[in-house]
Amino acid sequence: MALVTIESEITGNVWKIEAAAGTATEEEDVILILESMKMEIPVESPEKGIIKEILVSEGDQIQEGQDLAILDTGD
Amino acid sequence: MKAAVLREANKPLEIEEVQVSKPGPREVLVRPVAAGVCHSDLHFLDGSYPYPMPTILGHESAGIVEQVGRDVTYVKKGDHVITCLSAFCGHCNKCLTGHLSLCASPEVSRAASEQSRLSIQGETVHQFLNLSSFAELMLIHEHALVKVREDMPMDRAALIGCSTTTGVGAVFHTAAVEPGSKVAVIGCGGVGLAAINGAAIAGAGQIIAVDMVDSKLELAKAVGATHTINASSGNAVGEVIEMTQGGCDYTFEAIGLKATAEQAFQMLCSGGTATVIGMIPVGTMVELHGVDFLAEKKIQGSNMGSNRFRVDMPRFVDFYLAGKLHLDEMISKHIKLADINLALEALKTGQEARHVIMFDQ
Ligand SMILES: [Zn+2]
Ligand SMILES: [Zn+2]
Repeated sequence: MALVTIESEITGNVWKIEAAAGTATEEEDVILILESMKMEIPVESPEKGIIKEILVSEGDQIQEGQDLAILDTGD
Repeated sequence: MKAAVLREANKPLEIEEVQVSKPGPREVLVRPVAAGVCHSDLHFLDGSYPYPMPTILGHESAGIVEQVGRDVTYVKKGDHVITCLSAFCGHCNKCLTGHLSLCASPEVSRAASEQSRLSIQGETVHQFLNLSSFAELMLIHEHALVKVREDMPMDRAALIGCSTTTGVGAVFHTAAVEPGSKVAVIGCGGVGLAAINGAAIAGAGQIIAVDMVDSKLELAKAVGATHTINASSGNAVGEVIEMTQGGCDYTFEAIGLKATAEQAFQMLCSGGTATVIGMIPVGTMVELHGVDFLAEKKIQGSNMGSNRFRVDMPRFVDFYLAGKLHLDEMISKHIKLADINLALEALKTGQEARHVIMFDQ
């Protein structure tokens, strides 16, 4: 089992969570959408896997580099 | 209504039928008359700034109020307005300390749990920067627009909605350029030209325009540059230092590249300030020579010209009508919404000034 931690590239807040724990994702599937400086910024799955855990909630303020979600890539 | 929809990065926009929600209590439905095609739209089109899709690009427009929500008192049907992406809440710490353009309050957009402002047969269309102006109608927060004089031509007014405010604002507000000072502007697209024009209005003594395209350097002179440098020669920094006998008090980067942001810093004299306006791709790092900080050189970002747009934009309109702000030269072509992809292609080549979409009224 390989776990990949998905970090935020920006400071902002969580606008919408698109995928719950347990969801199977393909590479580039949108996991959640952040909002920063008037922009909506999608956070995509870096590879195929299953979402193990979403570490933030809608409305949370987040910092650059903060962990957002953990992806189980299976291998 | 019809709109130019982006469904996938690097693919042409498609003109589609899009549904607009009813105005909420503090929302305004605007019928755009003109919409500029801005260089930053390209960053989202090419994916260097990821954005959820489908979306409708466009964020520089002027139009006429069509309908207002229950609680809106600032505008009424028929008012002429310029839209601005710097929607402000009016009561957060940033707003209350005068930094309205840094307001990050989510209340100016609809929450994820509400019906989206834009949709296609039930599918959410993500509103771009709370505006989405490549469309026949815009449903926006009342704090995302400003009323303007009706004798202001709409195509010129549209430019004030982004490029003018971004460039002139960076000079007036972010950097606060002092009369008589030495200024260099790297990149002579719409925003860079606006910065040059702003520096001229602010009374800068020397204004050096840097670009790789001669026609843009000619435009730069027309809007106030005192000197020009074609950077194709490869030594723009050296030439600026020589022309200014030691560097600039203020430099502005209006492209959005690591290399030119670094050059803007290298062009400073001691105590000088570099302002990065261009959108540098997410993930790119900028490197500076640490010893330069001993000379009190500074570097800062500027977002939408640190604007207070409800104050600034009517002033810019007055500047235009008084002949101080040059907007006529900025428009190279008027197009129809259906020709949007050609305009975006033209923008990529960097050879032309702006295309402005004129909507059928
Ligand atoms: Zn713009
Ligand atoms: Zn605010």
